[in-house]
Amino acid sequence: MSNQEIALMAHLLRRAGFGATRDELEVFVAQGYDAVVEDLLYPSDPQNMPDDIIRRSHVEQSELRLLDGAGAYWMYRMITSRCPLEEKIALFWHGLFATGYTKLNQAKVLLNQIDMFRRFGLGNFPTLLVELSKDPAMIIWLDNNDNHKTAINENYGRELLELFSMGIGNYTEDDIKECARAFTGWTLGNAEYMSVRASRDSIWPYSRIAWHFEYRDDDHDDGEKTFLGETGNFNGEDIINIIARQESTARFICTRLFQFFGADEVDEEGEKVIEAMMQTYFESGYEVRAVLRTLFHSEYFRSEKARFARVKGPVETVVGAVRLAGTYRTPTQGVDQLARQALFMGQGIFQPPSVEGWHEGIEWVDSGSLVERVNFVGQQLGNTKNPGVRAIINRLASERDGSWTPEELVDQCLDLIGPVTVSQDTRNALVEFASLEGDLDLEDRESGAEQRVGDLLRLVTATREFQLA
Amino acid sequence: MSTQAARVTLEYVKTIGLTTNQSGRGFINPYDMAVSRDGRIFILNHCDSARKNLIRIGMMTFDEDYLGEFGNGAGAGDGQFSSPVAMVFDSQDRLHITDELNHRVSVFDSAGNFLRHWGVQGSGDGEFDGPCGIAIDSQDNLYIVDQNNHRVQKFTNDGEYLLQWGEEGSGPGQFNMPWGAAIGSQGDVYVADWRNDRIQKFSPDGQFQASFGVSGQEDGQLSRPSAVAVDDRGNMYVADWGNERVQVLDPQGNFLLKLRGQATLSKWAEDWLTANPVEKDNRDISNLNPELPPHITTFHEISSQTEPYFWGPVSVRLDDNGRLYVTETNRHRIQIYQQVWS
Repeated sequence: MSNQEIALMAHLLRRAGFGATRDELEVFVAQGYDAVVEDLLYPSDPQNMPDDIIRRSHVEQSELRLLDGAGAYWMYRMITSRCPLEEKIALFWHGLFATGYTKLNQAKVLLNQIDMFRRFGLGNFPTLLVELSKDPAMIIWLDNNDNHKTAINENYGRELLELFSMGIGNYTEDDIKECARAFTGWTLGNAEYMSVRASRDSIWPYSRIAWHFEYRDDDHDDGEKTFLGETGNFNGEDIINIIARQESTARFICTRLFQFFGADEVDEEGEKVIEAMMQTYFESGYEVRAVLRTLFHSEYFRSEKARFARVKGPVETVVGAVRLAGTYRTPTQGVDQLARQALFMGQGIFQPPSVEGWHEGIEWVDSGSLVERVNFVGQQLGNTKNPGVRAIINRLASERDGSWTPEELVDQCLDLIGPVTVSQDTRNALVEFASLEGDLDLEDRESGAEQRVGDLLRLVTATREFQLA
Repeated sequence: MSTQAARVTLEYVKTIGLTTNQSGRGFINPYDMAVSRDGRIFILNHCDSARKNLIRIGMMTFDEDYLGEFGNGAGAGDGQFSSPVAMVFDSQDRLHITDELNHRVSVFDSAGNFLRHWGVQGSGDGEFDGPCGIAIDSQDNLYIVDQNNHRVQKFTNDGEYLLQWGEEGSGPGQFNMPWGAAIGSQGDVYVADWRNDRIQKFSPDGQFQASFGVSGQEDGQLSRPSAVAVDDRGNMYVADWGNERVQVLDPQGNFLLKLRGQATLSKWAEDWLTANPVEKDNRDISNLNPELPPHITTFHEISSQTEPYFWGPVSVRLDDNGRLYVTETNRHRIQIYQQVWS
């Protein structure tokens, strides 16, 4: 199995998942790139930490009353799932259809929305939009419970077009109004009581009551509407079908998918990939899975150029480090700190800064967030007691009877933690650090040799290159 | 409303409790209850991780008068808890409370004074790895379920180790993360074998006698039972946690009846709504037992949207008056039912 195959597989798993350990990469390479892509695209048996174990171990993740518990619950899923793209696509849609706790005061319905993304996020795009329009968290978030036949509220209709599908400049103000009319009557059960409780952050008398969609026919405007040049007695589903047919929708969605899974910046070659993805979008009947398949098989994606062309998002950073370190595989007190770490890095789960979601790419990194990233990841991968770090140490020990020179040690650690490709300057700095105590002999574990590996791994996580995916 | 069965009916009496975020009146993730000799109700507030500092034992009357609380909050010091799970009174009205993260039992008198704690983490005789369910027999011996050691240990009420049984597995006498326990009228020990979806019955010295229930959602089947209570005739009242219900099985394990929950407003809840008329008015026009969309199928999800239903039943206890107390940790309340014999 070649280094190139390992490096390509690591690249795929960083994008379609949260990274992989060396042992996992070797299994995937043996399976073959095409087969791994198909497995990722068709999640079937995630084998994540069982729900009953989580709920018994953490009562706050059973009741899911508050943000901390909900964030921790999703963290467990992302950390332990063997179908990482199922979680990654949910994270993508959470960023695009950003829905926040602050207005809802209801953590469980946000997790229900994430579960909806798991079920529909890789499937048919218009179906996903219908589910989104029925999603109780989204209904309260964008006020569709206040969108009535007698007095429309344009909020959801506007964002559906501007932020969720077509992008600004591709529709008129009249289209927004007609869109809003079509979604009148799309509300949630006991809407009045639930909206009062949400607005007051009320948990009384018996804690929160989760929400479900309700269609009120008597509050739906069934009159004739003209939307994007088409006329009819449209309901919400009809509007979404018209949206899905638009080229602007294809461009919008494919570009966002490219930037999340392909590269932060779209150059000329990237633009060609997006066009190919758009073609697939139409040919497949708007299937997200097919669009991603086109991306993952593109020459661009598989080339060196796409490697490390994205800044890891905070959630990716936390989950990736924990998966690599092998921690939190069983119920762990303090798991709610993981979601908080991502918040400190600039991405609070269920806490988007606005309905526009987060500003991604290089904007993830500033002096404050960088310190948080380096500290957290360094703590995970510098701790030689963590199973994933032990696996790296054991692998180093098994590969060499004698000692490692500083150069050899740096190269091998970069390989086993990624592989990560670093600049010559970065490598020189790492070698200088590794040279402080000379060659390393892992036969003599009592000498602090293991901790030297941990310290070097910790330093690797502080490099510029390690912040990239 | 009552649910008919072959010999016993459980008639809904009322609901007690109210969600709170502070000390005083109200429950925070209750995990168990116990009744003292003088009839006071003690409630063990487990508390979620954000409110650990409010861990306490609350006291109230059956008529819902608040009597006070005790416990020294979160921690490992005297009278403190990290994750309290269950409790029983002994014959001297001393309250024995398990703590699954401190791996010990804390003892208080019925006035709330801390007396002692005992137990350390480990897998040896008398040591614990996640003590949870606790039951007491007529000789004041304590039976403590040791969840991560997959066993039951028997002690005197002073914490002197007597014996143990069980190991990890799914065969007779084996356990998979057991949770609750109860003592029958003949001194037999009943254990909610949580991850094996069954109730196991043992003699007082740990000899396996019978197993009841298989995995499933049908009548008589169980999903992660968290607790069991046993009446004088040997009927078992099971907190069927994964199915969010209570089932009653006869002494042979045959299905008798099931409860899904029918909570109404407690006195404390009514007081709160009276003081908050905006919420009361909107609540009054709501249907809190709604018809749900077909994609909502799991019992956990259904209970999260149906306020009267049990949600997170973690304890069932019978008192001397034939009342069954079902503690729901996710709804911060206790539903009370009365046994009626026909």
